[in-house]
Amino acid sequence: MAIRKFRLFLASGMGKEERWLTELSAKGLHMEKFKLGLYTFEEDKSKSYVYQIDFQHRTSEDYFQVFEDAGWEHVTGWADMFQYFRTDASRAGVKKIYSDRESVMESYKRMMRVYLFIFSILILSQVPIWLMWDGHFLDVSVTVLSTLVILLYVYMLLALRRKIRFYERNE
Amino acid sequence: MKEPEAFLPLSQATYYILLSLRHVRHGYGIMKDVEEISNGEVTMGPGTLYGALSKLEKQQIIQKAAVDSDARRKYYSLTDLGKDVLQKEYLRLESLVNNASGIISELEGGESGY
Repeated sequence: MAIRKFRLFLASGMGKEERWLTELSAKGLHMEKFKLGLYTFEEDKSKSYVYQIDFQHRTSEDYFQVFEDAGWEHVTGWADMFQYFRTDASRAGVKKIYSDRESVMESYKRMMRVYLFIFSILILSQVPIWLMWDGHFLDVSVTVLSTLVILLYVYMLLALRRKIRFYERNE
Repeated sequence: MKEPEAFLPLSQATYYILLSLRHVRHGYGIMKDVEEISNGEVTMGPGTLYGALSKLEKQQIIQKAAVDSDARRKYYSLTDLGKDVLQKEYLRLESLVNNASGIISELEGGESGY
């Protein structure tokens, strides 16, 4: 039976999301699909998986093949950026898709570049509204909404920068 | 083209990937070989490997190799620059060890002295 749960994670909180999915899987709920904060789980008490998410916008057949060969099943992808993988929790060996600090840092840097790009488009898209401001209800509501989104992005970019600095210091 | 020294020092993962590409291999082949030549000390995750391969290919240290029998997997080999980089790194590591060997045995000697 499919069970749905709604939950929002920021991209910078990918580690939390991985732990959440892995913990649920240990209780018998295995994530199968994801769409806009809505997770779909299959229930099966006999299994347990470790979930890992890869931020990767340059995927290819070969990319998925490398993961599959290494024992990681591709569960689903989101927005062509987030790839969800899982492996049997009882399988021997490393259960992380990034095995050293340097490559974890690289993946956060990739994420930072993509989100800075999206962020700048977001800002640019607001410029016409600011330029032609005439105080209409629509102007006000769009601006309130976009300001909230911009603040969320700023928060996330700062969190990402903190993570990257942490790994740079500890290299 | 960049000098091979510009890529040094290599990360542990990169060093082992380049060692394993003494023969043409695909991604998983590299992972298995690295585990073997490092006597099980280095097990690489697929994310780490894929990221490193993309970067090394962009830096022209490795290149794609054509293998007809397997369309699903990409195969890689070292470029001439890659061979050079690996040799220079080896010499760098060797001199690190050589320079320290006298000092380390002195330390060991000191310990056994009391």
